[in-house]
Amino acid sequence: MTAAQGFPILRHRLANGLRIVLQPDSRLPLTAVNLWYHVGSADERPGRTGLAHLFEHMLFQGSLNVGTNDHFRHLQRVGGVANGSTWYDRTNYYETVPSEHLDLALWLESDRMGFLLPALDQHKLDTQRDVVMNERRQRVDNQPYGRPYERLFELLVPPGHPYRWPVIGTMDDIASATLEDVRAFFETWYVPNNAVLTLAGDFDPGAALASVERWFGELAPGPRPQRDSFALAPLDAAVAETVEDSVQLPRVYFAFRIPPFGDPEWFASALLANLLADGKSSPLYRDLVWERQLAQEAACYVYPTAQTGFFIAIATARPGVEPAALADALRGHLDRAARPLPAADHERALHRTLVELWEGLETADRRADQLSMYATLFDRPELAWDEPGRYTAVTAEAMAAVAAERLGADRQVTLTVLPRSAQR
Amino acid sequence: MSRVARSSPPPPGPRRPFRFPDFRRERLANGLELVVAAVGAVPLADALLQIPAGADRNPLERPGLAALTASLIDEGTALRDGPTLSGTVERLGGSLATRADWNGAEVSVEVLARDLATALELAAEVARQPVFPPHELERLRRQALTELLRRRDQPAVLAEEALSSALYPGTPYGALILGDETTMAALSRADVVAFHEGFYRPSGASLVVAGDVEPDAVRTLAERFLGDWSAPEAALPIEVRPATRAARQVVVVDRPEAAQTELRLAHPGVPRTHPDRTRLGVLNALLGGKFTSRLNLNLRERHGYTYGVSSRFVDRRGPGPFVVAAAVGNEVAGAATGEILLELDRLRQDAVESEELAETRDYLLGVFPFTLQTHSDLLGRLAELALWGLPDDHFDRALAAVAATTPDDLLTLARRHLDPDHATVVAVGPAATLEPQLSRHGEVRVVRI
Repeated sequence: MTAAQGFPILRHRLANGLRIVLQPDSRLPLTAVNLWYHVGSADERPGRTGLAHLFEHMLFQGSLNVGTNDHFRHLQRVGGVANGSTWYDRTNYYETVPSEHLDLALWLESDRMGFLLPALDQHKLDTQRDVVMNERRQRVDNQPYGRPYERLFELLVPPGHPYRWPVIGTMDDIASATLEDVRAFFETWYVPNNAVLTLAGDFDPGAALASVERWFGELAPGPRPQRDSFALAPLDAAVAETVEDSVQLPRVYFAFRIPPFGDPEWFASALLANLLADGKSSPLYRDLVWERQLAQEAACYVYPTAQTGFFIAIATARPGVEPAALADALRGHLDRAARPLPAADHERALHRTLVELWEGLETADRRADQLSMYATLFDRPELAWDEPGRYTAVTAEAMAAVAAERLGADRQVTLTVLPRSAQR
Repeated sequence: MSRVARSSPPPPGPRRPFRFPDFRRERLANGLELVVAAVGAVPLADALLQIPAGADRNPLERPGLAALTASLIDEGTALRDGPTLSGTVERLGGSLATRADWNGAEVSVEVLARDLATALELAAEVARQPVFPPHELERLRRQALTELLRRRDQPAVLAEEALSSALYPGTPYGALILGDETTMAALSRADVVAFHEGFYRPSGASLVVAGDVEPDAVRTLAERFLGDWSAPEAALPIEVRPATRAARQVVVVDRPEAAQTELRLAHPGVPRTHPDRTRLGVLNALLGGKFTSRLNLNLRERHGYTYGVSSRFVDRRGPGPFVVAAAVGNEVAGAATGEILLELDRLRQDAVESEELAETRDYLLGVFPFTLQTHSDLLGRLAELALWGLPDDHFDRALAAVAATTPDDLLTLARRHLDPDHATVVAVGPAATLEPQLSRHGEVRVVRI
């Protein structure tokens, strides 16, 4: 199953360094516009966490020629759908518009890339700080297991590595961000030569490229920002901690350091995670949920992070089940994974992964985002079509090697979450 | 300075046409409706079997029965046990899921298109021949009881539960779909068997298939696996009559240590088949159905009270709720409620400006193709036609009705269907902080959990 033949792509680079990826496809009269800036929470410093994400909010507050809230207003007016998101390694902005409105989207994106600062003011920042603090409450502080999950990363990632703090930042840092921080962040990172612009959908490539040149060509490049990147070796010794939260059921988290996204070992880890816990016929579900009924739910997944990857395993205890017994059972599955697992499980995991990849390729916005990602991280957008091949190439032995070398008990962070004593 | 004229938005290019994808719709001799769309962008196919066995059929004393029954049908059939059912479809890369919502029970399968026959065979088998093994019933009962226990961790679920019981006492809508601890503990295998025998049947049911498929071949498969399914028509669900209310009321669900308040303002709305329903979609989009809605621009962008606020008319066979929902700071819950009430009142008092209506109307018209990008999106749209008995050209008609909506229409609709003075406000958060703020919006009742 390779999709490459079905989705040809064109590449271009403007004189100011902006990288362009075009993926024409005329099945629906829509065009997805996707812009990746190569900056995320990993480019923040302690004391200023959450700035990349708060900044993303500020990019929807208008620019020189676009009024406050008018970014959404212009796009929704024509039936466009727009948003942005922030991650450790990048910030993306995207909209899908009826194709005849491609220039509108390019006008909006180029105006905020080139002319944001004249529109910034303290009042907008104050409002968005309040919005983001409420976002943090909604996503973390008022969510069961929300704060413990942040603690897990403090145990897994050493001080000094930027994956240690959450993308949304700490409440204190969000509250103390200044307009000067926001300006400096923009000037450092939001330059054309630190971005990738992808168009996917129903457009004429020549005309679209001319439009891109028209709107973005005059924007001045900046110094290419420098970033330190370092992978983390597996932990030397196991780490374990128990915390309390306002929850009804105990939960056990295991976390491990694995190679970064894109590495063959990363794909082996991702497939292994699916093998272990994806679907009702997976070993974790069959054993922990169905047969022994120790867990209400169980899951495994990996982080697609660029500097170093993470493998997480989670199981939530049924009432009356001791967390230690659940942890032992979960650990047993990882120990068994250090030898090749049954071919039927491998087959299920691979097929389900491939179907998921197909689903991901079905919308123009998802295709555009994948292309931007591979262009940003590897300067090779066409790698987006190689994922089925990367997963198919993973052998049973490769998964066993990952489990043996990366997921051993002596390399494990264990975080046990207990219901707060008052509630037990 | 810029060499490009940037001061106003560039004009659109020539419009590219869109038409609703072709589909085929027919009825098998036993009454089962079959809807098929061939869309071959990727080699996948989804199938959805919708059966009128939803939570609106729950006997009043047995909330949770429809959900428990639906969750059990794929845990063992006359031919295969549960692990074999899930294992068979998952090894092909697919998935098989069953569930009940308010309007029906569903069996859904997603597979590579080449495996559609296996998928439909399994879907038909779980709908027609479940055996409800006692040990699986006990396992899923324990699982459901555990989920009910965990709703204390989930303020949004607590809010939904408080709203349901306030708006629809003494009706099936008055409980959670999952039921409650008392009834879930008491449901018997005989209850489940009787519910299945009573409501799982072809009349009123539909099979919807979308993906890289051939309609004639799908029809043959449907006949093979479902054509000989027969049973008399089931009784209609009982009519849901919401509570009437003399004044606005406030229910505070106390979570003393909550970092935020889950806020709802709601009242009964209209059945899905109400003639005003399509144009209410325009009213709702303008009020709280898009990022630039009045509510979101007010509560989020002007005041910073919330990360997001939305409103919707929930579609049910009976009069489902109209709900405004937001998670807000504890200390601004009263002020946020005041702004929500203000926005509802404004819509009832003054006709909207034609420019604001045009923005909303053009958004709804323009965004429609975006909601049909995948075969699963298309399946969802076709499932609506079957579930609500809508005509083949429903979406064309609905888009035309949206295009024709006037400011006067919205004023009439707002006065007819928005009722802030008799609404129920639910706030899940620290009662000590919330009660004094909310008492000016109605009589406050505090619920301890």
